[in-house]
Parts: sequence; structure tokens; C-alpha cells
Amino acid sequence: MSAPVAVLAAGVATPLGLDLESFWSALVTGVDGTSGIERFAVADLRVGRGGEIKKITPLRGGSAPRCRASALLLKAADDLLGRAALTADPARIAVVVGTALGGVGELERALADAPGPRAAAAALYDSPAHALARRLGARGPVLTVSTACASGATALGIGADLLDEGAADLVVAGGYDILCRFVMRGFDALRSLTRERVRPFDRRRSGLLLGEAAGLVLLARERDARGRLGRLLGHATSSDGSHIAAPDPDGRGLEHALRAAMAAADVAPDDVDLVSAHGTGTILNDRIETGVLKRVLGPRAYRVPVNSIKGALGHTMGAAATLEAIMCLLAARDGVVPSTLGYEEPDPACDLDYVPREARHVRPRVAVSTSLGFGGCNAALVLEGGG
Amino acid sequence: MTRLRAVGLVSGWGAGVAALPADAPAAADGRRVIPVPRPALDGERFRRATRECLLGVAAVEAMLAEGGLTRDAIRGADTALLYVTAAAYGASNRLFVGAGGASTARTAGGLAEARRGSASATPAGGRGETRRGDASATPGGAPGEESREGRAGTLHFPYTAPSAVPAEVAIEYGLTGGYVILVGGARATIDAIWQAARLLAARRCRRALVLAVETFAECEDLWARGRWAARGPLVEAAACALLEGDGHVGYGPADGPAPLETLAVRRAGEILACAPLVAAALAREAGQPEARLTGEWRGRRAAVTLALPAAGTPALV
Repeated sequence: MSAPVAVLAAGVATPLGLDLESFWSALVTGVDGTSGIERFAVADLRVGRGGEIKKITPLRGGSAPRCRASALLLKAADDLLGRAALTADPARIAVVVGTALGGVGELERALADAPGPRAAAAALYDSPAHALARRLGARGPVLTVSTACASGATALGIGADLLDEGAADLVVAGGYDILCRFVMRGFDALRSLTRERVRPFDRRRSGLLLGEAAGLVLLARERDARGRLGRLLGHATSSDGSHIAAPDPDGRGLEHALRAAMAAADVAPDDVDLVSAHGTGTILNDRIETGVLKRVLGPRAYRVPVNSIKGALGHTMGAAATLEAIMCLLAARDGVVPSTLGYEEPDPACDLDYVPREARHVRPRVAVSTSLGFGGCNAALVLEGGG
Repeated sequence: MTRLRAVGLVSGWGAGVAALPADAPAAADGRRVIPVPRPALDGERFRRATRECLLGVAAVEAMLAEGGLTRDAIRGADTALLYVTAAAYGASNRLFVGAGGASTARTAGGLAEARRGSASATPAGGRGETRRGDASATPGGAPGEESREGRAGTLHFPYTAPSAVPAEVAIEYGLTGGYVILVGGARATIDAIWQAARLLAARRCRRALVLAVETFAECEDLWARGRWAARGPLVEAAACALLEGDGHVGYGPADGPAPLETLAVRRAGEILACAPLVAAALAREAGQPEARLTGEWRGRRAAVTLALPAAGTPALV
């Protein structure tokens, strides 16, 4: 839908590290970023593990805000700004961030207490995005996307659209979400969480673990880019219109989004070198995704590495798709594809190459990334690595 | 140019723009919130859906009626759905938080309190129940094995996401096209109209629904504390516009409110994300051939322009 846009730089705050290179090094070496949750009570829950960030180090030139979601976003922004400057008129800098939960930690607190005006305002889902805009000095459009766990992909696509439209000259786009009792209790009650480790695509997979993170990229029109991490070639979204909390059992919505994103990018199946799957580690998701990839990519599906980084991070919800897009670009930069941590025993229903055991030394040029979320949200991105 | 094919409105004042008072603050007569009752949509399909979800469906029904359209006119992958809200997840979040306090004692009280404060927001079940093997939710035990608290949480949690409202709408009408959900006030609706226009321009869809829902009653205390965001009276509303055409809307920043923005607030009150759609409906009612719509949220304002063919004009595509 948009012309390709340049991804100039990226910044992250994750359980694997609070900067891009720490995150990447841990992914490549197979570090498990999940652990017992320490920040809030979990004793009454079936599962008390997740991808928790144990300590948010101080921000540059200031303390972190009380709102943890905002703090994660600002931490990722610090990392991003250490790699690229925002060299545009502030009125032409846009912010587009995706989230499944917004500032729900603040909402939970606001509902329990009797908050003042600022705390009540912080309870709105879009408050962290505006905190980020203030931090960046961005006075252009500020959009909060909430297509559940596909938010981080949808946000990148809208960011590309803003550039293509001429509505901004630089876009800081990405996603975030935090761990809190609200979301842990919800997924715990749904029996979505595994008591074992996360095993995407593995025969023994038994559910997901949640994680918290923020991921941001700096987008610009190609003609304005000087040096880049890669390009966003195409993007698309779709609705399942099927179920409030489960994907379409045949993956028709995801297939629609993936085909549309590839068409927008003018990319054929044989052009695809890497698939970054949603890969939650639940029975149905991984089987559905595998089927969609086989239908869309045909024989190529068996010849490209398909990985999931949720075994290492947990499912970071609104941040997940952005982090996965960043992973694709770093894989192209360094010529190495992280393994699918936790994948050991093949499942006949999931019969693609899921990059078992250790990172693989190949240099993917074109990658596709798929995402799904509550409410029948689907999104797909097509990315190209290299400067 | 992008055309407004049909627009529907349900608000605390009644159905359609005809129900809007001339001066909403005066008509509110000191009331802080003008609520919308739970829409009377019958059947098992809606038995446990939340009020905000039903308002979304009611707005689409109102749009279809206004445009003289059948459900078949929007079904399928050729229709994109763009949903906007600043507030319509509050009721579900409050209910879920109330049902899941830190202790068992607090939990029971919290749930009861949440239900009292949210008479129209029925705890979700049925549609929210997860099937074994769900991708996002893989229940390992039967619902009957769970505690009362756990059952409420299990059934309600998916409805705490803003995506619940458009999900129910998409399910009800079989919408499988492009899908965007934005959180924010009137400015976010202008952004959503722009996104709809881009999907039309790229021929990703043949028509686009822009849907907005706002509810306040269950979180009135929070809104009262955060009045910087909304002047009041807070008027609950759901609005839906059906857009067609070539995708041009002239999207860009706006220095001040267009006359229609001012009119919509005066007639309807504070309806946040619904305001630009109400403004479009008012413009069409007045027989304007086009409408310049503006919307503001958190100090940022943007504008788009829509063509307004007379109601009932056949689609050109």
C-alpha cells in the first residue's frame, strides 16, 4: 500500500537486554529470558513465570515515569536515540505505537485507589504514546494502535503510510506492553499459560508465557535515508470475523493479510528467505500458522527457516511484532538467524524448518513476519535487510 | 474523492442526529453522563456480549438502515473495518479488575461492586469462552472446574481489550477485510478515516466502515478526575460511517476546529471519537455536498474532507 520505507535504526527494552545489541546477542546465543515473576504477587496463579524485566536502569537525563509502560517505551527510545538522531522539524515527527494493554497497570491502580487527575489521565490506553512523544519532542501525529498482539506490526504499517502520505518526515513506530497482574490473571484464567517452557512448533508445546518489552524503529522515506538497517517493503492487516479470542481455525484471515502484504511488496514466494512466525507455542496457533505458510509460500515454505523468538522472550504482546521485525533486520545485517528456543521434538502437524537447537548462519534478504491477536486481528510485514 | 455512503448514530439522546438537542450542555441539565441503555439485540449470539460491543453492532445496524443497505452489502473481505475509541474499554476493565483483586475477600466484593456499578455491562461468557486449542487461549480445564472468580475472569478477559468491540462487529457481519483499531478521541477518528481512504485508494477494499463507540457510565469517577480530557456532558454514543470512493480525503493537520466540529460538540456533547462521524451526519442532514471534518485529542488536531452524496445514492463501485 505504501512505497517501501527505510528503517534507519531500532531501540529495545526487553527481558534479554535493555539495548539492541544485548537483545540481539542473547537471541543469537539462545538465552532464555523467562523467569519467575518478582514484581507482583503470583502465588495464586497457576503460572508465575514470564519474560520479566528485573530492573529498568535510569533514563538518560531523568528518572523513569511511574507508569511502567511509559518507562519501557522511554527506555527503548533512549536506545533508539543513541543510534540515530531525529533530524526533522518536530512538527514533522510522528509517533505510532501499538499496545494490547496500554497503561493498564495505571488503570488498575486508578480503579483501586482514588487517583488524582494525572493518575486518572495515565489510565487511558494512549497515555504512554503521548509520554513518548513528549520525550522525543515530536509534535506531529501521535497514534495508538490496539490490534491486540498484532499491534506492533500494524503500527509499523501505519507509520509507513504516514511517510508515504507526506504527513510526516520521520516516524518513531513500534510497540510495547508490560507484565502486570491484570494480564497475568487474564491469561492464567484462560489456561493459555504453560507450566513448562515455551515450545513453539514442538510436539510437546503446551502454551505460552507472557513477557514485557518495548521495541521502536525509526522510519523515513527512502530518499531521505542515509544509512539504514533495512526496509519495510509491504504490510497488511485483516480481520478473522470468527471468534473473540481464538484465530480462525483455518487461518483464512492470516492468509489474507500475508498475501496482501507480499503483493504490496511485490514479493513472490521464492523471494522469501526467512519467516518470523507469531509462534506462540499454543497447540492451535502453531498448527494454523504452519498451514498458512504452506498455502502462501507453496514448496518454498519447506526451504526457508521459520523461527519464533517467543521461547526466549515470552509473548510480549504489543511489542512482539516489532521485536520480530527488528530480529529479521538484524539477521540480515549479521548473517545469522536465531533458533526457536524450546523447539526440540517435531510435530507431524508442524513440519517446516523451525531452526532447531542453534542459530543458523545464513543471510536472509527478504523476510516475512506474521502476527495474530485477540479479536481476530491479523497483520503481516515484509522486510528487507541491508543498507 | 472519498464519499460518505451512509452514517448511523446511537447516542444517549436517542437514535440518529434528529434526536440531538440544539444545545447539549443545556439539555444535560447538570448531568455529567448521558448514558445509552444496553441495546435490545435478542438471541443467544448476544446474550453475554458487553454493552459496548452491542453498541458497536447497533451503530452498524443504524448505518445500514440509514443507507437502505442490507447486511450482504458489507459482508466479506472487500469491506475494511476501522474502529476507534477513547473510553469504551473502561467498563470491561473495571469489571475485570473488580473481579480480580489481590485477595479472595476483596475479589468477591469487587465483583459485586463492579456489577452494581455496571448494570448494563454483563460479564461476558459464551462468546468469550475459549475453545480447547485456541491459539491465544488454550484452556486446559473445563469451565466448571474453576472458581467463581476464575470463571468470571476466564469469560471476561478477552472483552477487556479494545479489539473486542470490532471483533464482535466483524463476527456479526462477516467482515474479513483490512482491520485497524486506534485508541484516542476525535483526532484518532480523523486518522481512521484517513486510513480507510488509503485502503480504498490502494484497492485493498471496496468500502470501509469507520466505527466509533464511547461509554462513560461505569468509569464516571475516573472521567470526573480526568476532566482535562473531556469538557462534558459526557454523552455515550456509537457511530458508524460507510465510506467508498477513490480514497482521497486531504488528510493533514488543522489549526483550529472546523464549524462542523463545533456544531457536533454543541449538539451532541462530549462524544470523543464519535464526534467527527456525528459531524458528517449533521452536514449531510443539512444538505451539504461535502464536509470538512476536524478532530482534536490531547492538543493535536487533524482534518479530512468527505463528499456527501444524498442519502440512498447508489454506490459507484
